[in-house]
Amino acid sequence: MSSVKDSVVMNLPRRDARDKLQGRTKYTVDVGGVEVLHAALLRAEVASARIKRVDISAALAMPGVQAIVSASDAPGLHGMGVADHPIFAANTVRYHGEPIAAIAADTLAQARAAAAAIVVEYDRLPAVLTMADALASDAPLVHPEWRDYEILFDGGVRGGNVAWQATVVRGDTDAAFARDDVTIVEGVYQVGRQNHVPFEPRAVTATYEDGRYHIHTSTQAPWTVKHVTARVLGVPESAVHVTVPAVGGGFGLKFDCSLEPYAAILARKTGRTVSQVNSRKEEMMTCLCRENADIRIRSAVTQDGEIVGREATVLMDCGAYGGEQVFLTTMTAHTLGGNYKLGSVRLCTKAVYTNTPPNGAFRACNGVYNTFALERHTDEICAAIDMDPIAFRHRNVVGDGDIGATGQVFQGNVLAPMLDQLTAKYPVKRRSGTLPDGRLYGRATTVGTWFIFVGPSAATVNLNADGSATLVTAGVEIGSGTMMQSLPQIVAANLGIHPDKVIVKTADTDAAGRDLGVGGGRTTVSIGAASEAACAQVREKLLGVAAELLQTSADKLVLSGGRVEIRGRPGSGTTIEKIVQQAEVSIGPLSGSGAFTAPGERSMPGCAAGHFIDAIDIPVFAVHDCEVAVDPVTGHVEILSYRLVQDVGLALNPRAIHGQIQGGVVQGIGYALSEEITIDANGAFDQTGFETYRLPLAGDVVQIEFDLYEGAPSIGPLGTKGAGEVPILNVAAAIGCAVTNATGKSVTTLPMTPPRIAALLDGRTCLPEMDHIDPHWLANLL
Amino acid sequence: MPVTFTLNGQQRQFSGDPRASLLDALRRDFRLTGTKDVCGEGFCGACLVYIDGVPKVSCLLPIGALEGSKVTTIEGVGARETLTPVQQAFEDFDVVQCGMCFPGMVLTVTHFLQTNPRPSRDDVKSALVGNICRCTGYERIIDAVMSLHNSAEGPE
Repeated sequence: MSSVKDSVVMNLPRRDARDKLQGRTKYTVDVGGVEVLHAALLRAEVASARIKRVDISAALAMPGVQAIVSASDAPGLHGMGVADHPIFAANTVRYHGEPIAAIAADTLAQARAAAAAIVVEYDRLPAVLTMADALASDAPLVHPEWRDYEILFDGGVRGGNVAWQATVVRGDTDAAFARDDVTIVEGVYQVGRQNHVPFEPRAVTATYEDGRYHIHTSTQAPWTVKHVTARVLGVPESAVHVTVPAVGGGFGLKFDCSLEPYAAILARKTGRTVSQVNSRKEEMMTCLCRENADIRIRSAVTQDGEIVGREATVLMDCGAYGGEQVFLTTMTAHTLGGNYKLGSVRLCTKAVYTNTPPNGAFRACNGVYNTFALERHTDEICAAIDMDPIAFRHRNVVGDGDIGATGQVFQGNVLAPMLDQLTAKYPVKRRSGTLPDGRLYGRATTVGTWFIFVGPSAATVNLNADGSATLVTAGVEIGSGTMMQSLPQIVAANLGIHPDKVIVKTADTDAAGRDLGVGGGRTTVSIGAASEAACAQVREKLLGVAAELLQTSADKLVLSGGRVEIRGRPGSGTTIEKIVQQAEVSIGPLSGSGAFTAPGERSMPGCAAGHFIDAIDIPVFAVHDCEVAVDPVTGHVEILSYRLVQDVGLALNPRAIHGQIQGGVVQGIGYALSEEITIDANGAFDQTGFETYRLPLAGDVVQIEFDLYEGAPSIGPLGTKGAGEVPILNVAAAIGCAVTNATGKSVTTLPMTPPRIAALLDGRTCLPEMDHIDPHWLANLL
Repeated sequence: MPVTFTLNGQQRQFSGDPRASLLDALRRDFRLTGTKDVCGEGFCGACLVYIDGVPKVSCLLPIGALEGSKVTTIEGVGARETLTPVQQAFEDFDVVQCGMCFPGMVLTVTHFLQTNPRPSRDDVKSALVGNICRCTGYERIIDAVMSLHNSAEGPE
């Protein structure tokens, strides 16, 4: 590893920091000017209804209005796995906030006034607002026409209000639970939604030029925007061009197409540039949140701590449309089914339709609450069999050669040494007690398993005559720094130049090949690997030309410091500029292209059904430890210390990783303690602004103490793994377990707001109502 | 009647609706987009500007109330070609992520250090109560601020 680090410029400063600090960066929301039209959406104010009549005539006549469009302008359905989602409600409203029409006007105020002047008449229909309602035997269907939808990915079981069901069956859990030498531990858990609150809301500017749509947008996934926009507009994908400037925060929210198709249609209709930006209220009321989930889990464990059987059912609320949740049903196998060796296992995960705003992807999606449930359950097991919680985890975490839930074989012992590293540095003296000020003290240590999404990426590298290199990808800088730091570092290390000489082109689907998007910790790994492959082509050409020029063989040459040298003879060679100039007359300019996709780790045949990913290519592990003080009267939880060890493969930018850890853990603290979304009787969120949605403030947080664990196996470039996604993974788990230790009462729901913890302390809390998950696992299957 | 005020050192006039927020006027009419529109309710501090040297959230200020005022936005802080010490510390500590909150952060911290040259960590935390950041988790920002002086706690 040290040799790799010798060849890489570490802790590269961010090239975008200066403009961001001076207010010069032009985000999508900053595009404007008198030539730009402004768009607004008319959104439904009911959760479930038949649309009787829409009358736009008065709105069309209002000042400044240039165009009004609705369902007939975008007939296509989109989705992940199932195409169930129109961009406009046509005949049916399925959630409060669903778009019915889009208006472009000279000013934003005019567009909003016109939206308010559109007359809509509804026939109200009964709404299912909770998963319990949705799964009732007589529940109205959110999608009565669910059988008619196009299936985009085979294998999921569907039916009624279940958009997708994924299952894992390995081994004989019935036999495990029937053993007479096991303790059976069962738990139910319930978690709410989390709003990403990116400071730049979803926003887009669109034009229609030379028969093509140019979409300039705040997205994490330009190729998804291209694909979905083309699909819902019914035009070829080649007719959609997507560019992405700096993105003011994403956290997963912008991993799907959002406002882009509306602005695109309006741009074509008006022949003008159209800007569309969610108001903060719209952004929050239609946030594709981290989904609320209901979880039932039970395990059969021997007295010496072997987990011989585990069964779990996880219900994920997808809201009115399947969206990302259909895909994310896959994750339970690798999160709740991760961490531990299991003798036998059965998992059922369902994405459930409700008449609520659709949910989406959020940093360590699905993993955050499944890790909460799993680790709380693990501590319940330890209590039931009277085993030390760290000893239990040490005994059971997956290590080299162990199999995961779907039967994939893990490589390397990672979690166990990480646990050792943490407990050696911070020995556990006690897990509960009372502090001198009367508050209740608790401490807990949790483990978590996450993984890097891989998937397709493409890169082109041009080596220029001035010795600089241009990297062309569809990667987006969403704030994590990957495009500003890791990628130029990787390209520079491969070409023997300084990262400052690597130009990183901003995402442009007309210039760069297909990419899955920036998310899932995949950017450094997937775009990095594609970039390495592109560099390999450039190197081969470069060294070929140099070998001829220097009259030696290419395998004797090394690239370093902007020069080509004969190995072991510094100063013997020449500059890269000279080689590129020579190449231009001999073989032409030097460029290379590279690609990467999922290498395809294998699961045990027949274990997983309805999964988009049967086995994980790059697991990422985390150990978190937290101390809390709980006020026995108010239920307020203060974090006293937060420590963690994170598996990063190889740390290219320890300073940037520090920033990701501090930021990710704090987002997890918000999720665990204060960020709460409730849904009113009309199907609308109660929290649509910063007054009611409680983000962590500077005074609510602590300095996160951390160690990076390097050297775990990774197929990522230079041995890297993504480091930005995982810090949030086991925060709610660690805090939940610590609060349980402090109070002596089982925490089963999130967030742990003061009223909720006060009720727990007072014994006013019951277990979450979970009648809609049958204790008999099989009875939950469609 | 038009409103006349000084914007980043230059005299400017605004002749639109005097009830428009300063934030909207800056972004829409003067096209100074460094001032960010995030919560729109005065909680987050991303739209912070100086009015006669005092930090104020521009989303809650009607521009009609600014007759004769001196308005300084992030674009008017420091010299264009160089970073101020606060900006430089934020760059050096690699604390910038998405960047949307940083114009406001820079203005808050700069003003705070003028009157509190030797703050403790807790003082800095208190000063940031009106600046919300969704990316960084704050502590690295505070590390950078603490590096700017020789307080008892000292820089990192």
